[in-house]
Amino acid sequence: MRIDHTHRKWFAASLIIFGVATAVYVPYAAHSPSGLRGGSAIGLTFGIVGSAFMVFSGLLAARKKVPVWRLGRAQAWMRGHLWLGLLSLPIIFFHAGFRFGGPLTSVLMWLVIVVVASGVFGAALQHYLPHTMTVQVPGETIFEQIDHVREHLVTEADRLVAAVAGASEPAQAGSREGFALAAQTGVAVEDGTAPLRSFYEREMRPFLASRGKRHQLLSDGDRAHSAFEGLRTLLPAEIHETTKKLEAICEEERQLRRQSLLHQWLHGWLMLHIPLSFGLLLLGCVHAITALRY
Amino acid sequence: MAGPERTTKKLAQRIDLNYFKRPHPFRRWRFWLSVAAPLVAILWLTWYGVAGNNRVYSGGRLSSAHAVLAAKCDACHMKTVSSFSAKASDQACLSCHDGPMHHDNQTFTPNCASCHEEHQGRMRLAATADASCTQCHANLRTVGAPTKFTRDIENFGSRHPEFAALRPGAVDPGTIKLNHAVHLKKNLKGPNGEPVQLDCDDCHRPPTSAQPLRFGSATGTPVAIAQKSDLPIAISARAYMAPVTYVKHCVACHGLQFDKRFTESVPHDTPQVIHTFLIQKFQQYVAAHPAELREPGPDRTLPQKPVPVAVRVVTRDQWVAERVSESEELLWRKACKQCHALSIPGDGELPTVAKSNITTRWMPHADFNHERHQMLKCTECHAGALTSHETADILLPGIATCEKCHHSGADGAESRCFECHTYHDWTKEKEVKGRLTLTRLAE
Repeated sequence: MRIDHTHRKWFAASLIIFGVATAVYVPYAAHSPSGLRGGSAIGLTFGIVGSAFMVFSGLLAARKKVPVWRLGRAQAWMRGHLWLGLLSLPIIFFHAGFRFGGPLTSVLMWLVIVVVASGVFGAALQHYLPHTMTVQVPGETIFEQIDHVREHLVTEADRLVAAVAGASEPAQAGSREGFALAAQTGVAVEDGTAPLRSFYEREMRPFLASRGKRHQLLSDGDRAHSAFEGLRTLLPAEIHETTKKLEAICEEERQLRRQSLLHQWLHGWLMLHIPLSFGLLLLGCVHAITALRY
Repeated sequence: MAGPERTTKKLAQRIDLNYFKRPHPFRRWRFWLSVAAPLVAILWLTWYGVAGNNRVYSGGRLSSAHAVLAAKCDACHMKTVSSFSAKASDQACLSCHDGPMHHDNQTFTPNCASCHEEHQGRMRLAATADASCTQCHANLRTVGAPTKFTRDIENFGSRHPEFAALRPGAVDPGTIKLNHAVHLKKNLKGPNGEPVQLDCDDCHRPPTSAQPLRFGSATGTPVAIAQKSDLPIAISARAYMAPVTYVKHCVACHGLQFDKRFTESVPHDTPQVIHTFLIQKFQQYVAAHPAELREPGPDRTLPQKPVPVAVRVVTRDQWVAERVSESEELLWRKACKQCHALSIPGDGELPTVAKSNITTRWMPHADFNHERHQMLKCTECHAGALTSHETADILLPGIATCEKCHHSGADGAESRCFECHTYHDWTKEKEVKGRLTLTRLAE
């Protein structure tokens, strides 16, 4: 979600809530012997408000799971998740009097910090990366299908090369289609296409099959273009079109790699944020019960 | 750079339409981590629960004094029947040690935990915040009679009044005439006539001082000033100076000789005792020296005109009475009067000696420990001693002297209320029967 002008009201409301909370906390803490305690009336209020913010933030996952319930717009829930989740950090700090306390409360404080920090990090990524992806990955596909699309690219490349230079050895070794191609075409390999076969077997097929290995010649667009230009000088003009198609396939592979990397950045932080937030909510409930008891 | 084959249809045909039925590893990992994290949390708490250890729920480390109870939550958090809550009550604190009330006329009694906050780590529980005191003393109200104490104290550096002993109009109530300036001057005449220079500790020592007095008698048995009921019981025996006494500090230079016939002095006691002593002494003397009853008169011989010396014969009682009268005249009007305030009625009546009224403790509502300040020269705080000529001079340092070191900030000595003042009136402490066993503590 981009944080744009539609967040203005949420930003203003959050600022007001933070200001009010600070205005309540500072004088009370200054006049409390030994600072504000979580079990005092005001400390308890901060704890309840902070917990409510965290529970609401956690309910975003449930809201997404049951969109048919129509309990407010998903965008509104997401904005609430962002701003109330961010507010929960200072509110919880006010509740704790900026103390970490015992084992359970220390773990909770660290969980709050990590969850909110990862959330802020993720929000920043979600703000900038989608646009980056649009610009850098015009050939974007469904993320879960990237591997499947890659297989198609490999097959297509094998077919193109086989059509002009015979099935490459990796193609033959690597796929049944490779064998079929070799049998179908039966093209006599001309010496003029040897550079193409060599280039394909040495550089391009490993590039297509490696799925994200770095430091390959074709992983860089400029170097790849230079390589293909150089290749074309060695090849007859009638197969230049084939090399252009192969070059397009390489470009598509690079975009898929780029998309995969950006997607991992865009969603990888959730591996930390979501599990820890579940732990936070669970331990928060335990803390609420035991703190009220003792 | 898509070639002619990159039509929308071609692109769509590359997609497996059933992909959504198989969760991507990314989603699988996220799901299982979301299950694992709470599971780990539950296992963590269960592990503590199985071990019977509730420390995981503790609000923080206990103070040094209570560290032995770290695993014994129920030692303080006592649950009453049919109650969910098990907060630490005053009853739990008082079951181990008493906490006597501060003043009978205070408007409310705060509970123990409001001042002595636990679970704040290894700190002194007695080191309470000023706010614990100023919740009353910033706007002091009392039940019944109005209070004589200052009503709006914020902290030691703000609105704390000057020490009561030094406020305008305050004088030393002592009646012993003492001139500090004279005693501290150079070349003072010593016990044997030699010039001496007195130091403060030649007279002012804590009761447990074992060093012999330079110009006094032997130290003898130290006198415990804690016997006084107005002194805090827990105070160190070296906190306050022992009262200055004649027999230890003055007798070497200020003897009470009364007659050249005797080398001893009269006892330092009441006029009645001295009178009885004198009579006894002279009676013993004249019994051993009956010739003293014949007193030769004055020699009135003139040149070339001898006059026989008249002899006056008196009875024993007469002789004793005359000698006692002479001795008492010397004592009442010179020796004793040098230090004491006497009222001599005349007609042979014994004088009345005003009570000495030596103040043993100048600040009964605050604690002070000389031992903690022993690195300072006495006159740094008691500067007035060097120039004091009058008994009425109060030589206590004022609050400004204390504030030179005891002020807020990183470079100041402790200046919170507890450093000098005690909330609990320990003179009213009640004994507590111990209820814990070593076995229970070690469990």
